[in-house]
Amino acid sequence: MKSRIIVSVAVLAMILMLGAGCAKKKVEAEPMAQPATSEKAGETVKGEDMEAAAKKKAMQAAMDTITNERIYFDFDKFELKAESKTVLAKKAELLKKYPAFKVLIEGHCDERGTEEYNLGLGEKRAKVAMEFLVIQGVDVSRLKIVSYGEERPTCTEKTESCWSKNRRDEFKVF
Amino acid sequence: MQATFRVFALLALALLAAARPAAAAQALSIDIYGPGQNVVNMCVAAPLSLDPAQPAPAAAAEFLGYVQQDLGILPFLRLTPDNQILGGTTLGGVSREQIDFNRFQLSKVDLLMTLGLAPDGAGTRIEGRVYEVGTGRLMVGKAYSQVSKENLPLAADLLCAAFLEALTGNGDIFRSVLAFTKNLGKNVREIFTVQPQGRNLSQVTSLGGASVSPVWSPDGRYLAFSHHGASMHSLGIWDRSKDRIFRTRLPGETITGLAFTPENRLVVAMSGRGAQDIFLLTPDLLKVAETLASGPAIETSPRFDKEGKVMAFVSDRHGAPQIFVRDMESGAERRVTFNGKYNSTPALSPDGKHLAFARMLPEGHRIFVLDLASGAERQVTFGPGKDETPTFAPDGYFIVFSSNRSGTEQLYLTTRFGGEPRLIPTGGGAVFFPAFGPLLTK
Repeated sequence: MKSRIIVSVAVLAMILMLGAGCAKKKVEAEPMAQPATSEKAGETVKGEDMEAAAKKKAMQAAMDTITNERIYFDFDKFELKAESKTVLAKKAELLKKYPAFKVLIEGHCDERGTEEYNLGLGEKRAKVAMEFLVIQGVDVSRLKIVSYGEERPTCTEKTESCWSKNRRDEFKVF
Repeated sequence: MQATFRVFALLALALLAAARPAAAAQALSIDIYGPGQNVVNMCVAAPLSLDPAQPAPAAAAEFLGYVQQDLGILPFLRLTPDNQILGGTTLGGVSREQIDFNRFQLSKVDLLMTLGLAPDGAGTRIEGRVYEVGTGRLMVGKAYSQVSKENLPLAADLLCAAFLEALTGNGDIFRSVLAFTKNLGKNVREIFTVQPQGRNLSQVTSLGGASVSPVWSPDGRYLAFSHHGASMHSLGIWDRSKDRIFRTRLPGETITGLAFTPENRLVVAMSGRGAQDIFLLTPDLLKVAETLASGPAIETSPRFDKEGKVMAFVSDRHGAPQIFVRDMESGAERRVTFNGKYNSTPALSPDGKHLAFARMLPEGHRIFVLDLASGAERQVTFGPGKDETPTFAPDGYFIVFSSNRSGTEQLYLTTRFGGEPRLIPTGGGAVFFPAFGPLLTK
């Protein structure tokens, strides 16, 4: 498409150049035509880019929403809180809108438990989120879970405020 | 390696009797049962030349260092430094009649070790003796001939093993090997091995990601571990004899614990899309052969005694993690921890009589030891910080656990009766998941 437009513009330019050399009267008429055609062609190109860009932007925003919003749990628990269900419902809608997205759900724990048990607990936390998304209509084949237990804390202070940030599910689009 | 030098001789027939564990323990009347109590004060005298006309060989200082390294990990032993002995620790000779025990008695030393060395062919002859200071009785006497420089650590291990055997009935700790996991950077944990006295530190894996939960096969050939990669768990197996690592996916997604049966079969706590249960795998590791423990939520951390008669594991089937044992013959399960709301990381003694585990207390996790027959519990660690993942040494007496009491997770040695935990040198960095392997062959 682009090459056709370029050819058209080049032909027009040649006509204009030739016209300019032939008669002055025609010079007035021809320049009027050039921007109209050129603008029309330009608009077509611009319109396509904008649409793709808008789509890309929306997709990125959806991806950001899916990955940036984590859900959190109480100590030694893997039940979803009400606010977590709201967050997951939003993710489910986005996943249904963008069927190309596949999501890895990572389950994490705070440091107060013990390593192996926390790997089990992290898996439960990841799995409960996965099951919620499936119930919301997301195909299970697009979801994957992994548990890191207490291996990957986001906060290392020994306070409840910090521990509460580590008891979480993270979501990665792949 | 051992063939390069040999145990030369016991110094006297009397020493043979002294080395018999039961007799020695009775004669010494040393009670090492109780945390922080009955600490034995021991002094290692400055090494001497066996030939008074010659200075001590160059190997003397190095050998002394190895001996001190060995003795330094024993929780019930306090090494008295040279400057606390009236007149220092340089003796007139290494045998009883050449020693003024009064000097050591004044400094409240219970046991005195003497070391004598002399050139012996291409190596060194080493004589080690341990005396009871109060009576002057010779407790241990060993001589090693033609010890090469590279075998100095081994000679120190043998001498200290003989001493420990006289005290406790078993000196195997000095030829034990530990596997553990070490943090090498963000999200990177690799498997290492080391001897409890901190020697022969060696990196096993270089896989990136996290390699955790190492367990040894009973024959010592294989070390299995769980690997956490960017998006999945997999099983890793190190073949020690070929120094090769094999990795494979398991039927389940999440691996939360591993164990070997006495028949070298792998048991894994894992989950698929169903529950997290404990399974015996087929020998090819591809399928589940048998479900060993199952529940509605988390079943994890399987551990066996040496004969595979009992399996301990963690289950939160009653709402919080507690420890259960399964009789492998009948399949009967019973809960064994009732105190505390969070009991985990079990370890069975080789004879299956004792269970070590971590209990969460308000001040942090602490290690307890439970007598499975009577149900009697004993707290053996007291923090600070978080003490977890105990593992029994092959002798069933020593316990190694991980603790962040220093601010960083490190490994410590204590006994099943408690005692001041001693740091196991692991070369820096946070370390986790200690697992005793079979004894090193001599």
